[in-house]
Amino acid sequence: MATVLDPAGAPPADERRTTRRTRSTAPGGRRRHIPPLLAISPFYVLFAVFGTFPVLYSLYLSFQDWDGIGDMRFVGFQQYGWLLEDSVFWHSVLNTFEIWFLSTVPMLFLALVLAFLLHSQVRFTGAMRVAYFIPNVTSMVAMTVVFGSVFAQAGLANSALRAIGLDGIGWLSSEWGIKSSVSLMIIWRWVGYNALIFLAGLQAIPTEHFEAARVDGANSWQTLFRVVLPQLRPVVLFAAVTSTINGLQIFTESQVLFQSSDVGTTGGPGQEGMTIVLYLWQKAFKEHQFGYGAAMGWLLFAIIAVFTIINWRLVSGSDRDDDRPRLAGLLRRKGARDGR
Amino acid sequence: MEHRTMSRRRFLGASLGGAGAALPGLAGCGAPSGSASAGTGHLSLWYWKGALSEELLRTARRGVPGVPGLRVQGSQIPDGDIDSKVRTSLAARAYVPDITVANSDNLATFFPDENEFLDLRMLGAESVRDRYLDWKWKSCFTPSGRMIGFPLDAGPTALYYRRDLFREAGLAHEPADVAETIPSWEKFIAAGKTLRAKVPGKPYLVSNIGNVFQQVLLQSPKQFVDADNRFIGDQEHVRRAWDLSVEILRQRLSARITDGTPDFNAALSGGRVATMTTAVWAINGLKDSAPKTSGTWRLTTMPDGPANYGGSYLTLTRYCRDPEAAFAFLTWLLSPANQLKSYQEISLFPTTPAAYAAPAMHRPDPFFGGQQPIDVFGPAAENAPVNYFSPYEETANTPFFQELTNVETLGKNPERAWRDAVNTAETTLTRLGVS
Repeated sequence: MATVLDPAGAPPADERRTTRRTRSTAPGGRRRHIPPLLAISPFYVLFAVFGTFPVLYSLYLSFQDWDGIGDMRFVGFQQYGWLLEDSVFWHSVLNTFEIWFLSTVPMLFLALVLAFLLHSQVRFTGAMRVAYFIPNVTSMVAMTVVFGSVFAQAGLANSALRAIGLDGIGWLSSEWGIKSSVSLMIIWRWVGYNALIFLAGLQAIPTEHFEAARVDGANSWQTLFRVVLPQLRPVVLFAAVTSTINGLQIFTESQVLFQSSDVGTTGGPGQEGMTIVLYLWQKAFKEHQFGYGAAMGWLLFAIIAVFTIINWRLVSGSDRDDDRPRLAGLLRRKGARDGR
Repeated sequence: MEHRTMSRRRFLGASLGGAGAALPGLAGCGAPSGSASAGTGHLSLWYWKGALSEELLRTARRGVPGVPGLRVQGSQIPDGDIDSKVRTSLAARAYVPDITVANSDNLATFFPDENEFLDLRMLGAESVRDRYLDWKWKSCFTPSGRMIGFPLDAGPTALYYRRDLFREAGLAHEPADVAETIPSWEKFIAAGKTLRAKVPGKPYLVSNIGNVFQQVLLQSPKQFVDADNRFIGDQEHVRRAWDLSVEILRQRLSARITDGTPDFNAALSGGRVATMTTAVWAINGLKDSAPKTSGTWRLTTMPDGPANYGGSYLTLTRYCRDPEAAFAFLTWLLSPANQLKSYQEISLFPTTPAAYAAPAMHRPDPFFGGQQPIDVFGPAAENAPVNYFSPYEETANTPFFQELTNVETLGKNPERAWRDAVNTAETTLTRLGVS
């Protein structure tokens, strides 16, 4: 601006005043933005206080040694170093991934099938949707108590197995029993939620595609896998990413399922139900090692970040535009065959 | 420790806690400003459901008898949250309760931060010392000699056993005879073998070996870490508890069931477990989970003698606005007469031996075939050893209980499990500055 006003450098006095006046109107201009900013501020203020601050503080905390009350002591990367040598931590990482895999893969598949059925269902759709969503809003603690009875040695699950002539399983006392019961609880809780997400995606697909598929004689499975799935890719990506983030933070199921009067055990026999967040909780809130817990939280963040990226790459791998010609080609082929 | 059995119920019985609504400008005293009761006319008290008598708290809310002008407002905090809430408020130096309840295994975790709590000796605690059980009183002190807790309730232990099953096995079955014929854990194991061999239903002696490990440990004055902050969990007293537990498993006398699970309740109701080695507070749980076995149970002295398992404390934080009045409240609430009332109302076992003589405590209990539980628990409470619990007790004992579960449930080799437990405990404790 100065170059325009005065090539010599300093603008003349009255010019400078004009400049200042122009500048002084700027706050007035900004004042126009204050009401809308104020209107949206509750979210940002609350988010800053309850979201941003704790996140940043936990990063700070992960470099400290702190029992939650007394003075903090700076320890550098020591907590991270210890964590990398902690065999229980690595066991919990492995458990978390095993449980995540055991739960997420069948859960997303079931959700897709459910969504597809709900989409074609004509009667009571609303009631069905509510029914499938209910597990997601039920108190997890209460439900885990119920599942505790289901998976007991003499519980419902084993009675059912025996009724069809199989042996009972140590659901809460063997490695894969523990992982399966936790996974089943996760599936039960999240399948309806994801089905609703898929359903929303399904409803966005133009009905002509379904009609075309039907006219061309595609059966339900073909419609699901050849017509619906390719067009659902962004929704599947969303569901996969959120399931990864949720799945790697499994906590309540394991905590309540194995919280008994048995002193000092966490995560059940062999700590097979010990997940990363459960171990974090035990270290930070039971043993008051907040620095260690915070460091664990940040390692978990790193793990989740890496796996979200992998997921994203996997699911959104091929270009979506390729699918349309393929779909058209498929329909054409089918049509030709049926026409014959 | 002891509250795990009840925590599920407490989970569900959760209620709103936190700072009471502030009524500004009532009591304008210049006390520390970090108190949750600042600006109100009462003192604040945090407790969990079942920790204190609601009846007495109702009285305290209107005015503590004998302390003119003092009102105490209790706030119920879910017992799973109270520790972190107290810690949070202490760290923030704001909204700290004047008075709070601390669990038995919880009090020691405050030792490193002992200055956050008032030293009750400074408020004249010595003057009421002779009212309370000696071991309980001693457990209120930090290693540096500061008294940060005040005796709330006790958890004397006993051997709960099925008289009918003992009788069927041809064992001594009346409480006095059982105490005489089973004076030690070794005799206890022998009785277990007889039970399994002679009773048709082949009952197990215990539900799981973790309970026995816990009880043998509590009978020892030493636990896992001593007052000089040294790890002693690899020593003889822990090893003995470990070996006895493993022996019970080896003799197939353990039902290998986790307490508090539906399987545990089923085993108790079905007479598949013949004894329980636990504290007085387990009575109500037993009555709830196995009502049909009423009349068949008896109580007797624990093999190798009684101990204390659980029990709580009241503490005054350094933000307490009126320490003298608060201490007067403690001596009122926890006087022998009021401990008796609390026992009648919510089965809190008194820490004041004077209450044991009261007729109200000598009621025959039909669940125990008309036996008076106080006849066993009273002497047990008076003869429990003094234990020292360090702030790192839970950190130190977790690997041991975990490995014991691995041995019992997954069949892990006991020797390897012991080595793993010692190594894990040592590694973790070294990082915390325990040598």
